[in-house]
Amino acid sequence: MIEVKYFGAVAEKTKCEFEKLSFSEELSLQKLLQNLNEKYEFESLTFSVAVNQKIISKSADYTLQTSDIVALLPPFAGG
Amino acid sequence: MSGTSRYNRQIILPEIGDVGQYKLLKSKVLVIGAGGLAASILPYLAAAGIGEIGIVDDDLIEVSNLHRQVIYKTSAVGKGKAAEAKAMISELNPQIKVNVFAEKLSGKNAISLFEKYDIIVDATDNISIKYLINDACLVTNKPMVYGSIFRFQGQVSVFNYQNGPTYRCLYPDENSNAASCEDAGVIGVSVGIIGMLQANEVIKMILEIGEVLSGKILVYNILKNEQQKYDFERASNVEMIKEDFEKKYKLIENQIEEIKFEHLLNEIENDAVLFLDVRNEDELPKIKLKNSIQIPLMNLDNEMKKLDSNQKIYVFCQSGIRSKIAAELLQKNQFKNVKSIVGGALAMKRLLKEEKI
Repeated sequence: MIEVKYFGAVAEKTKCEFEKLSFSEELSLQKLLQNLNEKYEFESLTFSVAVNQKIISKSADYTLQTSDIVALLPPFAGG
Repeated sequence: MSGTSRYNRQIILPEIGDVGQYKLLKSKVLVIGAGGLAASILPYLAAAGIGEIGIVDDDLIEVSNLHRQVIYKTSAVGKGKAAEAKAMISELNPQIKVNVFAEKLSGKNAISLFEKYDIIVDATDNISIKYLINDACLVTNKPMVYGSIFRFQGQVSVFNYQNGPTYRCLYPDENSNAASCEDAGVIGVSVGIIGMLQANEVIKMILEIGEVLSGKILVYNILKNEQQKYDFERASNVEMIKEDFEKKYKLIENQIEEIKFEHLLNEIENDAVLFLDVRNEDELPKIKLKNSIQIPLMNLDNEMKKLDSNQKIYVFCQSGIRSKIAAELLQKNQFKNVKSIVGGALAMKRLLKEEKI
């Protein structure tokens, strides 16, 4: 089970601020992002991705571990 | 001495003392934008005794600003923000020097402005200017105190602090289109809190106390009273020298031609031209012309195929910022005759009213 947190405009798309996802096979970060993109159609939304409070490249070769917390952080623009 | 009693309650803090107060007095801080974030940044920096504060903003105060830009009075609607902000903070603390720059920050003025200050505070409300501030901070080697809002959430970070990570390290994709307050809505307290956190970072850097939010982005949710910090690192390719900066910004700015709506009054019945409204559908005032259509900036990339790339297109938004981004996007996609309307729908509505159209 991993937890995915959504912020800003990304949370508007997902209509939730976090969700827990279980996976049976090995799941890479890239595959997770691909799945989420298919589910929520992020399209032109930009965001950075953090795993366990650390921002890493979306193309990083990372295999998700049970209890990882992933966060999708879009830039904000208001002021 | 009145100066000492003014700051007595902070001077008695062991972390500040006379030495710390002297550091504050010797500091020069430039605040870009005099809107909601600045409404808390400016008074707190001024009251704390920052010796010199610059304010950059060419906007006028609108009545819809007052719910969050709480340093402005209702009677100041229509006046320039930077000058009004100066009047307010000078009265709060007449011992500090305040400089007003009632101009837009651009590739042309950013470097020379930044060189005169120690710390640059980003209190703006659109993404493209954040990249400009970031890049000018890289060229001039100044720290950038970033703050930004999406509805009830805010972000704070300090970029380029002692060669630390930059805005581009966090968000490398420059063509993103996050919503501004005009688009997304905002409440005064959320910008107030984020602005206050920015002022806090400025003061910490000057006093060299605590941990500066360098290489960390703080995300704050005021509905849930939650805050989280995320770490990020400096990317390897973010250095920028003055020549690169000039090439990047002066070229772009020269490419986008801006035009005043008063020169276009005879075009509003002309079927050969198109007025393109890139605001969201719920933004007011509505501008409906015979030859106008609306495609929100966010959708423009997908929907521009509907448009004729040879047609003369005048792009407008609320105030003339998003329209420049849209015009740039269209130009990149081979649209040949695109201009951005200065001052956007607000300026257009005024003129249409005067001309009774």
